[in-house]
Amino acid sequence: MRHRFLRTAVVVVIAMAAVSLIAVPIVAQAPRPATKAPAWTPPKTPWGDPDLQGIYTSDDYIGLGMNRAAQYGNRLYFTDEEIAAREKNIEATAARDAVEFATPGGNVGTGPPGHWGERARRSPRQKSLITEPENGQTPALTEEGRLRAAQYTRQGAGTARPEDSWEGYTYYIRCISRGIAGSVIPVIYGNGTEIVQGPGYVAILQEMVHEARIVRLDKSPHTGSNIKTYMGDSRGYWDGNTLVIETKNILGNKTGIGGNGGGTPFSEDAKFTERLTRTDKDTIQYTMRVEDPRTYTAPFTFTFPIRREPGYQNFEYACHEGNHGMMNQLSGARADEKAAAEAARQNR
Amino acid sequence: MRHRYLILAATVSAIVLTFSVSMILLAAQGAQTKAPAPAAPAAGRGQAAPAPAATPARGQAAPARGQAAAAAPARPARIAGKPNFNGLWQALTGANWDIQDHSSEPGPFYQLGAILAVPAGQGIVEGNEIPYRPEALEQRKKNRLNRWTADPEIKCYMPGIPRANYMPFPFTIVQGTTTIAFAYEFATANRVVRMTNHQKAPVPSWMGWSNGRWEGDTLVVEVTGNNEQTWFDRSGNFHSDALKVTERFTLRNPDVIDYEATIEDPKTFTKAWKISFPLYRRLERNASQLEFKCVEYTEELIYGHLRKPTN
Repeated sequence: MRHRFLRTAVVVVIAMAAVSLIAVPIVAQAPRPATKAPAWTPPKTPWGDPDLQGIYTSDDYIGLGMNRAAQYGNRLYFTDEEIAAREKNIEATAARDAVEFATPGGNVGTGPPGHWGERARRSPRQKSLITEPENGQTPALTEEGRLRAAQYTRQGAGTARPEDSWEGYTYYIRCISRGIAGSVIPVIYGNGTEIVQGPGYVAILQEMVHEARIVRLDKSPHTGSNIKTYMGDSRGYWDGNTLVIETKNILGNKTGIGGNGGGTPFSEDAKFTERLTRTDKDTIQYTMRVEDPRTYTAPFTFTFPIRREPGYQNFEYACHEGNHGMMNQLSGARADEKAAAEAARQNR
Repeated sequence: MRHRYLILAATVSAIVLTFSVSMILLAAQGAQTKAPAPAAPAAGRGQAAPAPAATPARGQAAPARGQAAAAAPARPARIAGKPNFNGLWQALTGANWDIQDHSSEPGPFYQLGAILAVPAGQGIVEGNEIPYRPEALEQRKKNRLNRWTADPEIKCYMPGIPRANYMPFPFTIVQGTTTIAFAYEFATANRVVRMTNHQKAPVPSWMGWSNGRWEGDTLVVEVTGNNEQTWFDRSGNFHSDALKVTERFTLRNPDVIDYEATIEDPKTFTKAWKISFPLYRRLERNASQLEFKCVEYTEELIYGHLRKPTN
C-alpha cells in the first residue's frame, strides 16, 4: 500500500543516515572488549525448550549500514559520547514526528509524514551490522558474484527503465519475497517478527510481505535439493539456550543482503546459519552467518538485537493485494510515453 | 484374441521377473555397501541388510506408535494439559471448487482437456443449503457466472478463513500456550491465534483476526475483522465484511482433526450455517511445508496490459 512512498522514504532514510554520521563526532578510542551477554536464563516452555516467544522489532538498528565506515577500522562499538549524540538525534526526530501540521510556508514534500515509518527508540551500540570479518566489511565478490551483480544493476537501473515492466522491479516491490536475509535486516517500517513455538517447531512470522517460516526441530533431513524456494528450507536445533537455524535450497539469483532483499543476489548454493539468543526479558540477539562461496570470497556474519517494545505489534501486510504502487508506476510510465509521442507528433 | 493376451501375459511376467531379480540384486548390493558388518551372510537373498534401528521415517511419529527415532523428540500427546495440534495438515475435500454438492463440469480451457476440469464433489456445508438473503443469492449467481475471472484465488490473494483450511494445500499448526500460528502454503498466508490478550480486530484484513479459547479438548477460534474480498470457493460463494467465523478443532485421533466452522454474516445470510470436514496429518516421508508464492504467476494477468510495447 505504501509502495508509492517508497522512493521518497528511501531518500529520507539515506539522508537520515548521512545526517547521523555527520552528527556523530568521530572520537578515536580503543575498541571496547565485546561485552559478554549477561548471564540471564530465559524461561522454558512447558515442553522444556527455551522460550523465545513474543513480538520483536529490529527498529533500533534502522539505518545502520551493513558495512562499517572505513575510518572506524576494527572498532565495532560506538563510544558513550557517540551514543549520547545519536540519542539526541533520536529525540529530535521524535519531536519532529510529533508535529501534526506543517508550518505555513514550510518546505513540504510529497512524501509521507515521518511518523509513517518506524524509528529507532535508542541508539545502536554497533557501528555496522557486520561483525565478521572483523573490519565490518562485506567480503569481496567472486568473479561469478561480480557478473551477477552487474546483471542485477543492468536490470534494475541500467538500460531498461524499471517502469518498462514489473520484471524491472525487485522481488520486494513485486510483493513476492525479500528472501531469507532481506527479511530480517531492519528497514524503514514493518520490522516486526513474531515467534511462536510448539514442541518440535518454531514459527517465525515477519510482518513485511507476510512471511511465515516454519523451522522444524525434529532432526528431519532437509527437503530434496531440487526443491528451491525464496525462503529456503530451514531446520533448527537448540545449542544451550540458543536456537540455531540452518537454511539452504534457496532460489538462486533472486535476493541478496541489500535493503529489503535487494543487492547482489545470492547463488542457489548459499547456506545461512541463524542464531537467536534471548539475552533479557525483552531482547533477542539475532545473528546470521552467510556462506555463499559462489558469490562471496569469504563467509560473513551480521548481528543485531531485536526487542519487544510496549504497544508494538504485527499487522497483516497484504502487500500484493494492495500493490497499487506497481499499477500506478506502470500506468504512469505508459501515460508519459503516450504524452511524449503525442507532443512529438504535434511538433513535427 | 487369446494369443494377444498370452503375449501380453508373457511380457508382463518377463517384466515382473526382471524387476524382481534386479531388486534382489540391488538389495544384495545395498547389503554389501551399507552393511559391511562381519555378520552379513546370505546376502544373496537381500535379507542381510539389517532393518535400520529406529528409522526416522517421519520424524514425527506419535508416541502412541512408539516408533519415534531415538534422535527425534517424540510428539507429546498434550501440551500444558491441552491436545497437541502441532504438525502438517491438509483437507481432502473438493470444497475449494464448491463448498456445496456439485457435479463434474469442464474446466476453463478446452485445450487442457481433463486437466483443470472440475470433478464432482460432496460438499462440506451441513445440510448442503446456504441460507442466502435473496439479493445475496443474485450476487452469488453472478459470481458463479464470472468465476473464472472473479475468484480472488486467481490473483493469488490471501484466501481468508475458512477457505484457507480446505484449499488443496497443506498448512502447519505451531501450537504454543498463548499463541497458535497457522501457516498456509498457499500464498504464504498466515495468522496467529491469540489464546490470551484477546483484542478486537484492529483493522479489517484478508485473514481476519483470530481470538482462541479452549472448550474442554476443543480449540475454538473466533475470526472477526474479515474484509469482504475473499470467497468461500471457486464457484462464487461469498460473504460481506460482517462475516464472523467460529472454528472448532477437535482431535479425533493423533492424525485426524475434526474441523467445524459456524458462519455468521447477517448482511449476506438469513441465519448461521455450518461447514465441517476432517483435516488429515500429512504422513509422507519427511512431509514438509513448501512454499507457493504464487504472485509471480499472476503478474502477466494483472499488469500485462501495462508492459511497455516492444516496437
